[in-house]
Formats: sequence, structure tokens, C-alpha cells
Amino acid sequence: MIGKRDWRGLLRWETLLAVILVLVIAANISMSEHYLGVNNFINLFQLSIEKIILALIMAFIIINAEIDLSVASLMGLSACLFAWLYAKDVPPEVAILAALVMGAICGAFNGFWIAYAGLPSLVVTLASLVMFRGGARILLEDRSIGLFPQWFNNLGQPNFVGPFSFGIIVFAVLFVISLIVLHFTAFGRYVYIIGNNRHAARYAGIKVRQTKMILFTVSGLVASLGGLLLAARLGTVRANLAEEFELDVITMVLLGGVSIFGGTGTLIGVGLSILVVLNLRNGMSLANYSGNIQTAVVGVLLIASVLLPNLLRDARRWQRLGFRSREVLSAEEEAQETQPTDTVGTPANS
Amino acid sequence: MREISKRFDATQALDHVSLKLYPGQVHALLGENGAGKSTLIKIMTGIHPPDQGAILLDGRPVQIDNPAQAQTYGIAAIYQEPIIFPDLNVAENIFIGQQGRGALVNWRRMYREADAILASLGVQFDVRSQARGLTLAQQQTVEIAKALSMKTRVLIMDEPTASLSLHEVNQLFKLTRTLRDQGVAILFISHRLEEIFEIADHITILRDGKLISSAPASEVTTESAIRDMVGREMESFFAKDAAHHSDDLLLSVRGLTKHGVFSGISFDIHRGEVLGFAGLVGSGRTDVALALFGITPADEGEIIYNGQRVTIHSPDQATGLGIAYVPEDRREYGLVLPMSIATNISLPMLRRYVNRLGIVDRRREDVTAEEYRERFTIRAPSIRLAASKLSGGNQQKVVLSKWLNTEPRLLILDEPTRGIDVGAKAEVHHIINQLAGQGLGILLISSDLPEALAMSDRLLVMREGRQMGIFSRAEANQEVVMTAAMGVG
Repeated sequence: MIGKRDWRGLLRWETLLAVILVLVIAANISMSEHYLGVNNFINLFQLSIEKIILALIMAFIIINAEIDLSVASLMGLSACLFAWLYAKDVPPEVAILAALVMGAICGAFNGFWIAYAGLPSLVVTLASLVMFRGGARILLEDRSIGLFPQWFNNLGQPNFVGPFSFGIIVFAVLFVISLIVLHFTAFGRYVYIIGNNRHAARYAGIKVRQTKMILFTVSGLVASLGGLLLAARLGTVRANLAEEFELDVITMVLLGGVSIFGGTGTLIGVGLSILVVLNLRNGMSLANYSGNIQTAVVGVLLIASVLLPNLLRDARRWQRLGFRSREVLSAEEEAQETQPTDTVGTPANS
Repeated sequence: MREISKRFDATQALDHVSLKLYPGQVHALLGENGAGKSTLIKIMTGIHPPDQGAILLDGRPVQIDNPAQAQTYGIAAIYQEPIIFPDLNVAENIFIGQQGRGALVNWRRMYREADAILASLGVQFDVRSQARGLTLAQQQTVEIAKALSMKTRVLIMDEPTASLSLHEVNQLFKLTRTLRDQGVAILFISHRLEEIFEIADHITILRDGKLISSAPASEVTTESAIRDMVGREMESFFAKDAAHHSDDLLLSVRGLTKHGVFSGISFDIHRGEVLGFAGLVGSGRTDVALALFGITPADEGEIIYNGQRVTIHSPDQATGLGIAYVPEDRREYGLVLPMSIATNISLPMLRRYVNRLGIVDRRREDVTAEEYRERFTIRAPSIRLAASKLSGGNQQKVVLSKWLNTEPRLLILDEPTRGIDVGAKAEVHHIINQLAGQGLGILLISSDLPEALAMSDRLLVMREGRQMGIFSRAEANQEVVMTAAMGVG
């Protein structure tokens, strides 16, 4: 399906990300002798492991032209439910299961309003962001619950299997599954098609509602899993657990070249963007830059990720047509749409 | 306009075309799609610069760089879809975009002037009412009023009648004549020949970017106009086939009703039969098709398909039953434009291209796409080309391929030749004939009456959601069908 010609257009952003990644790694190596080392690499993943797991499902949702703002609140609610049940002497295994089931139900709740009632996901998940966080506060109020069993806390620590933590293994497995599902299966194709044009998808007999329902339910389940992993890593749960994580998750996905309007982007891009963000933050920590500065740099990168592709396209058009006003250019492009030229890059797809 | 040329990459859109517009004259511009009409308008309104040639106004050459500048020269255009701000009132819409009226809006004066303009057009409606509630025809009146308020001297009307009812068309023509008598030069574009002959004083015909003929309306006949537009006689227009349907019943619909949309629709389609659906835009033809395809299921009535009573509640189910629907708006509903030809063709049947591991087999998809590219001569350098890069005719062939690949038994075609050029149109007609010959039942919705008459074995006529009758090929002719469709006589 993807021929050589398509790859050229498709990989443009991914290539740029790879170059940025190499630069970041090179800078890190030159700045700190602690950077190269298994422990630092494990640590680098560990510190954001829940976010990068969530970024995988978020990529599906944004490619589907939706968004899920409620993931961080759901992480908090799920961890709080687990802690609350645990404090009530419910066996931890049962509490984990309950938290995961609740996560899937909450995700399905979002999915119902979006897929079947036709409400915009931005509104629905903004409402549930508030609602889920509210639920977490009702459960724990201002308490903090900890002292979980040792085996549970171990799930959040390195050296679970070899040097790797449980979370890293989960991420690696989910990344491979996501890659296959999104890029090689019929379901993944439907995710792209619906993100591009949900009308045409429906008229082609694709189950648009069912697809959206599945995505949001899985998102809820994964968010719940993320909340439990974070609880295990921190060893203690408060009602504000994971607050505002959703922004970092969405940032990583968009930086990976996924369009906020849906329909384009690849999981390779998201993977690269995750590596860039993690290594950048890690390098800056090692060089003693504060967390705030790190965040600002990631913000600049995100803006660049939106601007650069547009600038590149404009530059190519200018090259082709000579300098003219944008208005004229877009009008001409419209007129040319019927012509089989291959000069304008095709948006990345399947 | 004198000796205008315009080239887009390899395509010569306009080739030394000259056009003279006089005050108080309605000048009609005719031509098939792609003949260069739109390009000419875009040059006149400053959206495109010409490569060659000049625009002269009152004998003096002028340079028009953008639409705002065109307005200052008194050149305005109204289009098929009026550009209306639904939340503003009528007066605000009329005076929109007119700066220099001071920092504060003088509402009283604005309403007074809006009233005056509408009165000069001989129409009357409340200038304080919201534009949202206006009919399409009223919105167009507002557009004309807007043009007048700018002291327009040249008014371009680009297919203004395409979505209007007959009555509304007559009103629009009255307005047009009023404007003409006030000394405005009007350039009128329409595909409907009858309208052209009714309104135009002078007719210019373009084909493939060249000026073919330009003469007073009295010297042009329907036959000569069509000949000039298509470059050949009308007879070769349609691929007619004798009726080849069997008595084998495929679909039987009884009393199909969707409240407030259509009611009491009953018809049969046999294998190998083409049943035409004629009627005006908005008469409910597409709604019946959408009900059969499960997009908006019907409320009442019986559908017997292949000998079994069915209720169809989703496109997914309809596809499974062997019903395919080629929608009117192929860019929005028929295709996923940024995706490749191959992806679009395999889409409804993607399940068939999945192997045991759930992986889509792209090689098999490609094989299918290549088959259809060859079968329908889809003109594209590669099946991996994005559908957006194809011409209308080739896009339509991709949509047809996509649905034929589902191996349907009933094919619903909604305006399958709208907006595609004559050559592709003939090819589509040929395909329809071929498919009927293979025993498919075909429901053909067409607003192009000659097409509907030529292609259908029987013709069902709808008006305002009701079935006005079914005519056999022998009974049907333009007059009979139009009478039924408009409910006169």
C-alpha cells in the first residue's frame, strides 16, 4: 500500500524528529557523563512511563479526529478507588480488578455520549475531566493512602525483569500492538478513514459509532492501568494524583506529527516524539535546568511542530509558483485539485 | 475582456478568449464543465491574474488584483450558494463589507437604504429579520441587493438557478430583468438551456478554453448551442440500450414513508432493469435512496428484497444485503479524498482483504484496484494516487469501482453524472448499461431529464415527497415528466 513515493511525503516530519533526536542525544552525551548508562535510560523512561503509555491510545483517538481530556482525571480516580478499597480491607487483587473495570466503564461513558449522542469529544471529556477528579476527591478527601503490599509497589520500581520495570514492559508490548493495529489491520484503517471523513466512512458501511466506542473504552481502561502504575511507583495515593498529565500526553502525540484535525500521523512519529521529549527533559535535568524551563522548551518544540510543516509547504509552493499572496495560492491550488500533479505533498495516511 | 489567456501548469484553461459586456444586456456564458467559465469569472473578479490579455472598463484597461478591487470597479458576482451570514439581519447582510460608514452604525439609515434597494427590485421583506429564516431564493435576492448597494455595473451570476424551484427561478428572472433595465451589464451562467434562451440577449459558448461562438440570442438555437458546447451532435450523447430486464423481481417497495419527508412510495425493480427517479431538487428522491441504504431508515412501509421482507437500519446491513449507494456528493460522501485510489476501492469490503492474523493484505487490494483501473479506464498514473488528485469523472469511476467491488445486486446511483465532463458522462452511461446487462437492478436518480429518459426502462416521478406516477419508456417524454414533477396541467 505504501510505496516508495508515499514514504517520501509521509516520513518528512518523522525524519525531522529523528534528526532532532540525534541532536538531543549528542548534546546530552557532550554535557553529562551520567547520561550514557543503563540506569539513566531506565530512569528516563520510568519518570514518565504512565504518560507515554497513555500517548499510544491518545494517538488513536486524535487520528480518529476526537480527543480525550479526561485521561489524567481517570488515572487519579482509578488509583483512588484502588486505595480506598484497599483501605477498606478489600484484597488488593480485587481492588485492582475493580479499578480497571471502573476505568473501562468510565471510558465507555465518554464513548456513549460522543459516539451515540453525537456530542463533541472536547466537551464531553472536559466535563468528565471535572467529574472524575471530583469522584477522586469524594473518595479520598484530603487523605493520602499508602503502605500497599510490597508486590504492588514492586510493579512501579526498576529491576522488575532484569533492569526493566513492569511499566516499561507494558509500554513496549503496547507499542508493538498499537503499531500493528493502527498500521496493518482493518480496524486501524477505519480509525484513519473516520478521522479523515466520517460521512464517507458511514456511507461505506463502516461502523463509525462502534469504532469510537471501542477507542474511548480502551482509553478508559489504559488510563486506569496508568493510574495504578503511578500509584505503585509513588507508593502512595492522593486525590490530585496525575493532575494535568493530559496536556503532556497530548503534547507528545501532536509533536509526533498527528494532526489535531485527525486523519494523519503515524505511531513511528509518536514513538520518536516520546523519545525526543524524554531525552530532552532528561538531558536538561542532568544539566540542572529546572522543570519549568524544560516545560517551556517542550512548548516551543510543539509550536515548531505545528509551524514547520506549514512553512515547509509554503516554501515549496513559493518555489514552484513564485512569490504571490497566500490567497491567490490557495485559489490556484483549488483550481488545480483536479490535476494529477504530485508536487503538493499528500497527507500521511495508512 | 480582450484576448484573455490563462494556463495552469500543462492545462490551457483559457485560450485568447474575448468577451464584450454592454450595459442593459444579459450576456449568457455557456459551456461544459472545464470549458473555462469559472476561470474567466475568477479573472474578472481578481482571484486569478490573466497570463495574457487585458480587461477594459469603459474602454480603458484596468488591472484587477483582488476581489475587493473588483468591487471598487463595480464588478460583483453572485454564486449558486449565496454567501449569507445567518445570524445577521437582512440589512446587515446587504451592507456587509462596506467600510467607511463611520465608527458607529447608523441603524435607521441602514434600514431605510436597505428598504429602498429592495423596493427598487420590486420585492418586499422585513430588513430587520434574521437571514437564517430566508429561503434560498430570498437569500439570493439579498445577494443581488448587496451587489446593487455597491453600485455594481457588472454583475456576474454563476449558476444562480441551480438550487431554485421553478417559481423562484421566475422571480429571479424578474429581478434580473429589473437590473438589466437599470443599466447593469449581466453575465449569466447556467447549464439549463431553456433558461438561457428565456433570459439572455446574447450568448457566448466556450469549449476547452476556446471561444466557439458568440451571437445574439435570436440567432442561436438549442441544437446549435449543444453542438457548439459538446462539439458533436446530440445523438451521440447517450448510449441507449434496448430494455433488457427480466421478469425476475429484485426489489419491491410498498407504501414506504418517512414522516415529513416522503410518503406512500411503491415500486418494483427487476433484475437488469433501470428504474429512473425524476423530480425537482428537494422532491425526496435522495431521501428514498437513503432509506433503502439504511442511512435514515423509513418509518413505515414494506421492503421486499430478493423475496424476503427486510428492514434496513444501517448502511453496513444494506451493504451486506447487496445494496450499494453511489451518493450525489462524491467528494464529501463517496470518497476519502486524501486516501489513495486503492484504499478507497477496498473500503466497504476491507474485511475480505484481511488475512487470518487480522492484517490487511495490501497486495490483494492493489490487484483489485488495478483491475478496476483497467476495466473503467480510470486515468491515473498510479492506484496509490490520492483520490483528491483525480478529475470528477475519474473520481466517479473510483466510487463506482468501490461499490461494484461489493458485488451488489441493487445499485442506487444518485446523480451519477453531475459535474463530470461529456466524455466521462458517456462512459458512465456505458457502464450503467453494462451492469444492467449483467442483471443488476439499478435505481437511477437524475435531474438531467434527457439522461433519465434515455437511460431508464421505467421512470418514477416524485414531487414534494409524493410519488406522481411511474411511466414506461413508451409513455415518458420531457413534457409528461415535467408536468408530473411540477404538478401543473
